[in-house]
Amino acid sequence: MESPQQSTTPMPSTAQPRELSRLAALLRYEILDTPEDSAFDDFTALAAQMCDTPIALISLVDDRRQWFKSRVGLDVSETSREISFCTYTIAGDEIFEVPDTLQDPRFCNNPLVLGDPQIRFYAGTPLTSPDGYNLGTLCVIDRQPRRLSAEQRETLERLGRQVIRLFEQHLLAHRHAEQAALQQAILDSASSAVLVTRPDGVVTSVNPTAERLLGYSEQALVGHPLTAALFRPEALQRRALLLSSELQMPVEADFSVLTAPLHRGRRDMSEWRLRHQNGNEVPVLLGVTAIHDEQEHLRGYLVNAYDLAYQEQLQLRLQQIAAQVPGMLFQFHWRADGPACFPYVSEGVEQIYGLSPAQLASSFAPIVGRVHGPDRSALLLSIRQAARELTPWHSEHRVEHPHKGLIWVEARATPLQQVDGSVLWHGFVTDITARKAEQLELDKQQEMNRRLLEALSEAVIACDAEGNLTLFNEKAKQWHGADAESGSPEQWATRYQLFRADGMTPLQPEEIPLRRALHGEHVINHEMVLLSQGAPRYVLSNADPLFSSDGHPLGAVVVMHDITERKRIERLQREFISTVSHELRTPLTSITGALALICSNVMGEVPESMLELLDIAQQNSQRLGALIDDLLDMEKLHAGKMRFDMLEQPLQPQLELALRSNGSYAERHGVQLHLGACPAVSVTVDAMRLQQVLSNLLSNAAKFSPAGERVDLSARVSDGKVRVSVRDQGPGISDEFRARVFQKFAQADSSDSRQQGGTGLGLAISKELIEHMGGQIGFESEPGQGACFWFELPAQGQAKESP
Amino acid sequence: MAELRRILHVEDDPSIQAVTKLALEAVGGYEVLSCSSGAQALEEVEAFAPDFILLDVMMPGMDGPQTLLRLRERIDLERIPVTFMTAKVQPSEIEHLRKLGARDVIVKPFDPMQLAEQIRSIWLSGRY
Repeated sequence: MESPQQSTTPMPSTAQPRELSRLAALLRYEILDTPEDSAFDDFTALAAQMCDTPIALISLVDDRRQWFKSRVGLDVSETSREISFCTYTIAGDEIFEVPDTLQDPRFCNNPLVLGDPQIRFYAGTPLTSPDGYNLGTLCVIDRQPRRLSAEQRETLERLGRQVIRLFEQHLLAHRHAEQAALQQAILDSASSAVLVTRPDGVVTSVNPTAERLLGYSEQALVGHPLTAALFRPEALQRRALLLSSELQMPVEADFSVLTAPLHRGRRDMSEWRLRHQNGNEVPVLLGVTAIHDEQEHLRGYLVNAYDLAYQEQLQLRLQQIAAQVPGMLFQFHWRADGPACFPYVSEGVEQIYGLSPAQLASSFAPIVGRVHGPDRSALLLSIRQAARELTPWHSEHRVEHPHKGLIWVEARATPLQQVDGSVLWHGFVTDITARKAEQLELDKQQEMNRRLLEALSEAVIACDAEGNLTLFNEKAKQWHGADAESGSPEQWATRYQLFRADGMTPLQPEEIPLRRALHGEHVINHEMVLLSQGAPRYVLSNADPLFSSDGHPLGAVVVMHDITERKRIERLQREFISTVSHELRTPLTSITGALALICSNVMGEVPESMLELLDIAQQNSQRLGALIDDLLDMEKLHAGKMRFDMLEQPLQPQLELALRSNGSYAERHGVQLHLGACPAVSVTVDAMRLQQVLSNLLSNAAKFSPAGERVDLSARVSDGKVRVSVRDQGPGISDEFRARVFQKFAQADSSDSRQQGGTGLGLAISKELIEHMGGQIGFESEPGQGACFWFELPAQGQAKESP
Repeated sequence: MAELRRILHVEDDPSIQAVTKLALEAVGGYEVLSCSSGAQALEEVEAFAPDFILLDVMMPGMDGPQTLLRLRERIDLERIPVTFMTAKVQPSEIEHLRKLGARDVIVKPFDPMQLAEQIRSIWLSGRY
């Protein structure tokens, strides 16, 4: 066998790909550096004995050394690969034998030859794995040269094959142990309780979760029939009956209740209440799996129990919360092509749809049946749309409730797309019948208000607190020829062509009634003009600020009443009075003149008997003349046609003149006029109009004074104004009359005018005149104590106040 | 200087015409020619040769101011004061009438007992 060529065989390389795969194969057995094992030692002992050598080794060669799994006659456990004999053995396929190391050039210098263990002979058979890798050797060594016999070589080869088998077993056992550990870990850590039984239902093992869930230790359960230990007989019986009819086969009320469905290919999950060691019941969901061995023999069952207590708790909590919610909560499962159902509906469904949750567990139809017919299609469409677009869903529809009759409900839900394309909704439904009724009532009220506003002959315009116009009723649109437009209150006057009552002066923004009301003012009967399609429209405006019930400003509203027609009639009346007065004056001039001439005896002596009548005629014609004068003055004042030639002039001469002018009239009433104190001030007045006022006051005072009394005219300055007073000793002004003193045709007693010869216009005209001249008029009086009429005008020329 | 004797009175209203004539003749002792229209006044003014002319303002046809203008075309009014009688008493109107050449304005209704005296004072006011 020995050949010179062998001596030239190079040392096998460790870096080749095959060598790498060999190393991987070796590592897979996980045997390197494992403790001594008697199973292997038997083989080395046997090899040494059979080959009659002092040393036998099972050597495994890795990348840098040979390690001995088992050794006989050697102390070291490993040697370096460089000096290893086995490296040569694993390079070949058969026994590698070195009869005399000192004669072999590959080994003659090997330290193992020259030193301990002084190897002179080596024979090794490769240990070849089933996939063809030489992992190491089974070798025998002697300290003297020799050769193995043919039997010994064969024995060595056989033993080598046995060693490999042992490796394989070792590996398999290791794998099994791992598998078992993993299974145990899974069982131990499983969140569900797992109980393993024999085919007859006797418990063989339980996991810690099961111990915890059921309160029994493993020892307490193992060896006992599962159903007898944990299940209530009634429940088993009920279930057995149910299954018997479902599966069309007799099912006993024992462990077969759990396994029967499996025999029909069904993997049921069923809910049970198991008996806890402490007597309580534990709600669980059970799943049963059959365990078969490789030969498909039934070895037992794996029973999985999921704890439902937490779920039940959640369910209870949800139920309690849902009970507090008005209306119903729901979870709705919608499939475009399949049945829709309610996985969850709270008890409130009874109040809303008059249905029970159970009625809806598998179908959506009962609800649709309750929805008021005309609302159904819109409801379904809205659901479809929301499901398609996955947008929050909102619906208000009517329900024909079996007890409540027709009610309004509002539903809201959010759709969630599921992986299978179906849509899961979570939402709620509430009864809004009351709110709806209020809303309808409110709508009706608003409609009523709107109609009312439109029916008004007044224009109504409102704005909000920011001044945005919010309401323009039909009349307002008609008048302005437009609807409310946006624009600040500053623009209203020009946009809507607003003018003062004279019809010419544009209204300043701060004069506009609505704007004034917006600033908190109550505007009453403000007269103004608006140009409506080119024609002036006279209106009386009443405006008020608007406040919410808690006092918040909401804006303002103005109501405009058209007085154009009234103004026209008033103007016609005034023109008529004016015309008539003018026409009356001419004949009156003749009458008065003629009477005056007659009464003066110019035309000859008038008989005594006629004198009295003529006197009456003369006085009344004069009175008629005065009335006409007053009417004409009034008309001029109203029409704004009276001119005032305002001139600054001293007051005193005016008072003296008035005294002189009215002296004779007073004398006729037996009354004396007296001028009292008068400060040296000037007033800016139209002298003629001032005289007219003084005449009115003085003649009134004289008229109402008892004969023999005195009328005092005086003036005093106060606060930059001069007050001219006319005080009489007459009967004074009665309380009833006070408010009407300055009104037109006002007389304390209708009989007065005839007795006293007044027109009833004097004070009204005086008031207008004084106010036109920038003053004020008034009176003070106590009935029975005389009266004091006064007017005030701005005083000029002297700031010094009267004492 | 001549004495005031003859007064030409132009007035469309016959009643006022009569009362005025009476007042001036009976109270004042003047000679009065009453004309019912401006046209009549123009016709008769030269023949009558008035010392004083009293003109109503508002008359149908030719009114007072027009009559004044036409009179001025016909006779020399330098020596003959013209005075208007009117119911309108606005100061502006009185001013307007003065500018037309009126010596004064007498306001209607007038006091017939004072009228003659009023006219005399107007007549005299022009003397100075």
